[in-house]
Amino acid sequence: MSILEYNGGCVIAMAGKDCVAIASDHRLGVQLTTVAMDATRIFPMHDKLYLGLTGLMTDITTLDQLFRFRLEMYEMRENRKIKPKTFSNLVSSTLYGKRFGPYFSEPVIAGLDKDNKPFLCSMDLLGCIAEADDFAVAGTCAESLLGTCETFYRPNLEPEDLFETVSQSLLAALDRDCISGWGAVVHIITKDGVTTRELDGRMD
Amino acid sequence: MRNFDFLDAEYAISGTRSDEARVSPDAIDLGLSNSLVVPQVDRPSSFLRDAFANVPEKDRIRFAHGTTTLAFSFKGGIIVAVDSRASMGQYIGSGTVKKIIEINPYLLGTMAGGAADCSFWERDLGRRCKLYELRNKERISVAAASKLLANTVYYYKGMGLSMGTMICGWDKTGPSIFYVDSDGTRLKGKMFSVGSGSTFAYGVLDQGYSYDMSDEEAITLGQKSIYHATHRDAASGGVINLYHVKEDGWVKISSEDMMVQHRARMAQIKAENETSAAVVAEPAAA
Amino acid sequence: MTSSGNAPGGFSFDNVIRNSMLQQKGYAPPTARKTGTTIAGVVFSGGVVLGADTRATSGPTVFEKNCQKIHYIADSIMCCGAGTAADTDATTQLISSQLALHSLATRRAPRVATALNMLKQMLFRYQGHISAALVLGGVDFHGPHLYTVYPHGSTDRLPYVTMGSGSLAAMAVFESKYKEDMTADEAKQLVYEGISAGIFNDLGSGGNVDLCIITKEGKELIRGYAKENERKYRRPAGYIFPHGATPVIAGSEQFKGPEKGFSVVAEVAPAQDTMDVSA
Repeated sequence: MSILEYNGGCVIAMAGKDCVAIASDHRLGVQLTTVAMDATRIFPMHDKLYLGLTGLMTDITTLDQLFRFRLEMYEMRENRKIKPKTFSNLVSSTLYGKRFGPYFSEPVIAGLDKDNKPFLCSMDLLGCIAEADDFAVAGTCAESLLGTCETFYRPNLEPEDLFETVSQSLLAALDRDCISGWGAVVHIITKDGVTTRELDGRMD
Repeated sequence: MRNFDFLDAEYAISGTRSDEARVSPDAIDLGLSNSLVVPQVDRPSSFLRDAFANVPEKDRIRFAHGTTTLAFSFKGGIIVAVDSRASMGQYIGSGTVKKIIEINPYLLGTMAGGAADCSFWERDLGRRCKLYELRNKERISVAAASKLLANTVYYYKGMGLSMGTMICGWDKTGPSIFYVDSDGTRLKGKMFSVGSGSTFAYGVLDQGYSYDMSDEEAITLGQKSIYHATHRDAASGGVINLYHVKEDGWVKISSEDMMVQHRARMAQIKAENETSAAVVAEPAAA
Repeated sequence: MTSSGNAPGGFSFDNVIRNSMLQQKGYAPPTARKTGTTIAGVVFSGGVVLGADTRATSGPTVFEKNCQKIHYIADSIMCCGAGTAADTDATTQLISSQLALHSLATRRAPRVATALNMLKQMLFRYQGHISAALVLGGVDFHGPHLYTVYPHGSTDRLPYVTMGSGSLAAMAVFESKYKEDMTADEAKQLVYEGISAGIFNDLGSGGNVDLCIITKEGKELIRGYAKENERKYRRPAGYIFPHGATPVIAGSEQFKGPEKGFSVVAEVAPAQDTMDVSA
């Protein structure tokens, strides 16, 4: 078993028309034993920028705190919100700084830029950025998620349609993965605010 | 190829079958013979042990292992309950597997470990139980049936069979459960649970078990035990299948998605919270 | 510098001991994203043409179908990367920034040989642990240059080069069709054929062909010069889910409006929770 699969869990992000969705499951396990069903691996960085972290939960917690620290330092120094693109570079260089002793976490970043255009990217654990204009996935069922996204994704979805598409892509993939699931949360980020919904997923 | 016949000559079909049944003396083994073929090496068991055990984890030939199965006897007979998930590593290969094998109308076997090993050898067991019945004009006992299986898998010990099963049935001595696994273990007992989710199932089972419970209580206990295992064990899930073994054979009781149990439990917890909140509120008013 | 901050200009080895402990306990070390790759370059009369495929893989899975493997170094210098994706990205970014500073300090346009030396010195210092295999090409006042850089820091200077897992397929094409003093169009066609051979014959390479043509006059980066692996079929109507199709836990919906613009306000100290010391 890879250490990235020790706790389980996954994150998916998808772009819509002037909106973007990011979603994850709620499981925290120790190998095959489910320990918690209310774990969170999506962290708001500001009201138009969300960060999802998959992999080892201890590193997810550490990285969340580290990025929040760096982000607040940035906002105080610059007196402005960070751009999603800039933030992705911050995440990337932080991870690459530990090239020879990495954090075991693969991030997904979703946000809206200053023109409210979607920004999406995923990274590997060394911080190699893969920017996407459609969807970005990471976690223990990344392959299944890529499959569901490739079939379900359509460009320029409105927020409500994006919610259904991202939720169905996530739920279908969760049902094929032992160590992800136990409920899910979806955030839809628009210029007017963020809608958050809890999905009624399978609990096995 | 060397053949290892595991049965005595008098039981073996190939020994009693007429020559016409075979295409030629050197006919390819089409699975008609009741023997497995082992590799043509000096010591097949150590060869197979190397292929299955003495290699790094990543090179090992692996089987689906995640499961929860249970069986317990009580006043009204035996309850056998299982989940339905087949996992291949962390990937869910199927969510609707039948893990209770109907050996014959009086015998049930459960499936944990290698699905192919369990279903093949338990079907083979069914055949041999039928032969026993035809020869001896009476049904085989559960003890004898489970021993046939245990002896077979013991013969292949260390060659990579993977199987943890409970043989459950009703015979002259009443209901009995035998646990048989691929190490050669064979145990008689009142209550067993096998698989990665077994610890969770045992917890619920021990807490709620009583010999004198009614059929309904026993069925509910079986379902609840499997439900809690599917909930906490990542490698168990799907549908809860439950059988009841009685004096005149087994009956299939239910086949129900575990989410039905989950929703019922959540509703119950909610209702209990509301009543306890009302109880707390009352003394303040008084 | 505390251990939580990055030591300036270097790697942090904070997690190394923990990670090797985990490895000893039997947890396989995770794999980084690799670029099973075909990259190549050719010198022609007036400049160089660089080419690359666009596939990034993680184990057997294609994780990106259209990634950019031709990296920017300077306005007239580009660099194709093969190997661990994070390493090629970070290495080219680092050298690009150092070269820009060097160029400002010396008040001269950057030269390809300078970039080459920076790259090989850095890679040699890390003794091959940074797995970046590069094709470096560009035009400076000496004319067009083309080099390959290996992960351990060795370099080659050749008129036509290939790198990555698809390098054999691409080199087969180059060996049979390269000629001296080609025109830009001939060179583009040759590099395209080389990369295409990698895409179709090497399982680690795939996707589109990217080209970059650098001449004295400037450079042109063509993303998707050839797109021969476009998705063949897509359900015309797509998959449309009616609103409310996904079961949502009742009462879980929350809406958070946008925060007000960032501004510094006078801080008020919150009322202190005093410790209860009575009894």
